[in-house]
Amino acid sequence: MAKFLGIDKVLSVLNIVKENGGLRASLYKMFRMDELKVGTLVGTDKYGNKYYENKRFFYGRNRWIEYAPYYHLDYDGSQVPAEWFGWLHYKTDLPPDQEPFRPKYKWMLDHTENLSGTPGQYMPYSTTRPKIEPWIPTKRC
Amino acid sequence: MLRTTLLKALTGSKLGPKHITVLSRAASDVAKKPEKIEVFIDDQPVLVEPGTTVLQAAALVGVEIPRFCYHERLAVAGNCRMCLVEVEKSPKPVAACAMPVMKGWRIKTNSEMTKKAREGVMEFLLVNHPLDCPICDQGGECDLQDQSMAFGSDRSRFTDIDFSGKRAVEDKDIGPLIKTIMTRCIHCTRCIRFASEIAGVDDLGTTGRGSGMEIGTYVQKFFLSELSGNVIDLCPVGALTSKPYSFTARPWEIRKIDSIDVLDAVGSNIVVSTRTGEVMRIMPRTNEEINEEWLSDKARFAYDGLKRQRLVTPMLKATNGELKPVDWETALLSVAKVMKNAGSSIGAIAGGLADAEALVALKDLLNRLGSENLCTEHTFPMDGSATDLRSSYLLNNKIMGAEEADFALLIGTNPRFEAPLLNSRLRKAYVHKELDVALIGPKVNLTYGYNHLGDDPEVISKIASGSHPIAQKLKSAKKPLIILGADLLQRPDGAAILSQVQKIASLASPAEGWKVFNILHKVASQVAALDVGYTPGVDKIRENNPKVIFLLGADECAIDRSDLPEGCFVVYQGHHGDHGATIADAVLPGAAYTEKQATYVNTEGRAQQTLPAVSPPGNAREDWKIIRALSEILGAPLPYDSLEDIRCRLHQVAPHLTRYGDAESANYFKQAQELAKNIQSDKISGSPIDVKIKELKDFYMTDAISRASPTMAKCVQAVLKQEQSKY
Amino acid sequence: MLTTIKTVGSCLRRTLGVRSLQTASTLQHEAVFNHRDTPEDNPDIPFDFTPENKKRADAILAIYPEGHKRAAMIPLLDLAQRQHGWLPISAMHKVAEILNLPRMRVYEVATFYTMFMRKPTGKYHIQVCTTTPCWLRGSDEILDTIKCNLKLEVGETSSDGMFTLSEVECLGACVNAPMIQVNDDYYEDLTAKDTEEILNDLKNNKKPKPGPRNGRFAAEPIGEPTCLAGEPPGPGFGVRSDL
Repeated sequence: MAKFLGIDKVLSVLNIVKENGGLRASLYKMFRMDELKVGTLVGTDKYGNKYYENKRFFYGRNRWIEYAPYYHLDYDGSQVPAEWFGWLHYKTDLPPDQEPFRPKYKWMLDHTENLSGTPGQYMPYSTTRPKIEPWIPTKRC
Repeated sequence: MLRTTLLKALTGSKLGPKHITVLSRAASDVAKKPEKIEVFIDDQPVLVEPGTTVLQAAALVGVEIPRFCYHERLAVAGNCRMCLVEVEKSPKPVAACAMPVMKGWRIKTNSEMTKKAREGVMEFLLVNHPLDCPICDQGGECDLQDQSMAFGSDRSRFTDIDFSGKRAVEDKDIGPLIKTIMTRCIHCTRCIRFASEIAGVDDLGTTGRGSGMEIGTYVQKFFLSELSGNVIDLCPVGALTSKPYSFTARPWEIRKIDSIDVLDAVGSNIVVSTRTGEVMRIMPRTNEEINEEWLSDKARFAYDGLKRQRLVTPMLKATNGELKPVDWETALLSVAKVMKNAGSSIGAIAGGLADAEALVALKDLLNRLGSENLCTEHTFPMDGSATDLRSSYLLNNKIMGAEEADFALLIGTNPRFEAPLLNSRLRKAYVHKELDVALIGPKVNLTYGYNHLGDDPEVISKIASGSHPIAQKLKSAKKPLIILGADLLQRPDGAAILSQVQKIASLASPAEGWKVFNILHKVASQVAALDVGYTPGVDKIRENNPKVIFLLGADECAIDRSDLPEGCFVVYQGHHGDHGATIADAVLPGAAYTEKQATYVNTEGRAQQTLPAVSPPGNAREDWKIIRALSEILGAPLPYDSLEDIRCRLHQVAPHLTRYGDAESANYFKQAQELAKNIQSDKISGSPIDVKIKELKDFYMTDAISRASPTMAKCVQAVLKQEQSKY
Repeated sequence: MLTTIKTVGSCLRRTLGVRSLQTASTLQHEAVFNHRDTPEDNPDIPFDFTPENKKRADAILAIYPEGHKRAAMIPLLDLAQRQHGWLPISAMHKVAEILNLPRMRVYEVATFYTMFMRKPTGKYHIQVCTTTPCWLRGSDEILDTIKCNLKLEVGETSSDGMFTLSEVECLGACVNAPMIQVNDDYYEDLTAKDTEEILNDLKNNKKPKPGPRNGRFAAEPIGEPTCLAGEPPGPGFGVRSDL
């Protein structure tokens, strides 16, 4: 009956809202991520990103990341560290902390996100001569 | 070169007014007109003067005969043989450039024999010409390329199986302006003829003989002349190319903008070649009345000064006394504030590179603010007729007129370096028409012989009183020319000298319409500034002690901080950081002559306009627009918002300023002479007459642009090095 | 040195059929048409005509009318060369000064004419004609003899400054081929032995008698004339009788 009337849908929506931390938090999440999903927390990386899985969704949509809150809306794919990238893209089913073969060397660098378009971006210095050499006033006057 | 002649030949049937005057002038020299003779060029009949060469006759009907060594303005050499044509009944082909036509000749410029002769000549030229067009700077504008395409054989017999190699010639080092790749030389000897006939510097020649012949200087010597750059244009191949321009651009990728040179008062016509918003080179543009097709080295090579020491942003003096870059709004607001506080106690000095638009705008602005203190850097005596009569400050006889003169008296001027193209005209008259030249001033090398009358100013009075033998000569001359240098008038006794020279001019009894009295200015802005009513000389500023002084490109140290009262606010508007900007409290960056459409009046009084070739760098703006913007803030807006509007204003002030290309003749000579009589003539001091630019090394760096130019600095170094040389 | 490398290179090229060394074409003559300062030839070395040569120079100049004095350039350069033995750059400058001409105009003439020697030349300048008539009559042998005797190659000057050997084109004495010219004198109808004699005389500073060496006085036939021997026939010789 409830199913017939679609109340179970309403209940599951309520459940999702509840799982996501209440109405306010859910609205914020909707605003931030354009969708509201529930899943099991598979792990958290050292930057605070959370990785979820819910097998109810079809393949391709059943693993996702919730970027750490301090990113706000400035999140992008390059913030996923390399070790989680494989799990998120179905290259492996084991999260990095459970993967025994994952190599770990001390020379391995920390993950950095893509800094293009930010002040931290890489900018090669110019090797071309400036077309105009401006006059630089001498200090004495 | 070929292109211009081709153009001339094509338009030959409908000669422009300039051409007609030239031809009729040349014809008037012949006492009795001999009968014209008829010849046939490719069966087209044409009537020509006796003595016309085959090549000239062909050009009259628009038939272009290929040539390498022939050049209209140089003597005929006839050594390249490219102009061979068939003449009916002549067993051998004839060199068209050197052969005068005979009555009834039938010349075939397109026959089998002619074609074969051209192909043969071309083949011989190419046997020893390197095939390096892809790395040659002349590529794309090379006469040899064009003519081998048009007239050469379509297949090669040059099968050098043993690889014995082409002829190789050592490159010469002839200075910082001209790069030589002598293997490319085809021995047309145009450069030699130019050097000896027009530049008057016999440094180039042919050495050796046969296949070992070389063009060069034989000894290690620079080819230093104020006109040396023209051999680059003359060279039909890539043997002589421009050193500063080498490997920078290709002719098909540059934009060409017709403009005017402003580095001297001649106003040579130029073509500015630009690419990617940069001036790549400057070349002469033919103007028979001014520069023919030559250009002085300073005008041609100082363009790299336009890229250095530029003012690209407005600057204000900070509290610590340093100029700091600010934005336009801040700069204009602070300048306007100071000017408003100063009331009418404002002065302005216009420099040598200022254009007429900016001059008028600045004058209007200051007049609105109640000030009349507008001066030019270069002095002109204010006694007598002063600058009220235009005839007393112009080169009345025009540059072209110098060719016809039979006697020239140069007073306190060195035309060779002050106006190289006027000097080349005088030299032409000296060489071809037996012009006599006398010079009062320091002994300098003018590239032609002259009668040196010493540098004692007493000589001027003597001639004026008629007791000097030169006075007799002047009286008997039909077309005498007196050229007075602007330098001389800077002296404290300039007015007295001017009146004496006016008196000398009145002694002459010239032919109808011939003007005797001429002033040769040194800077491009002077005539326009005097035309719109600026006061020459900065004495007025010194007397009035203004609170604010506006320097419009004034860089010649005419006024210094010490001349100005304490706390005087100096605004400098210009394009180069030179003397003016260093003493300024506020700097407003203007545009240089390649960056604006502006009017300049040359020493003949001929208004011409420059066209923008590139945009002003950084935040720099056109000068009159800056003044217009300033006027808005000052609450005295000038009534012009566009170039058309300000040109209307120019027209209102002086109509000749907008008649571009025409040199309006001045008049009231008699009145000027009468007025000059009132000046006390005994005031001439005994100090010898001097000119500022005596030698070649002084010629290269004379203004803000050429002082910033590395090429010009190299030229000065080269002259100094040459002085050390034993050759 | 360079020539050796080039020769080796060209030999290799010929034998192997490979282009081994690419060079521009070598000059066919030893003259260089650019001046290089050397210890014996630089503008610091003063040159002036001797008093008697000055008189000669004035005499030469007097030949040419006013306005055409530059025509005296070749005789003056020749005079300078005779005085100095060869033509240094200072001499060219002197001639330019006398004629009041730009120096370049003198350089042009001095480099054009091959008889102006612009580098140090020996006391005896031996010019061997190797043009066809002399070559047919054995000029190669004469040249080899001189080379061996003086231990000089063509274009070289002996270290004692006595001899310079040059190979020249026709000197206009084909009828007395083979011949050599030593300074102003022609030695004609030579054999290898005659050449040796001449050279030995010169080495001992004796002047050998110029002219033909085979007993001829000048260009007359050896022995009896072989043609035009009889009386010249009078008018009407060989003309048809009915005319």
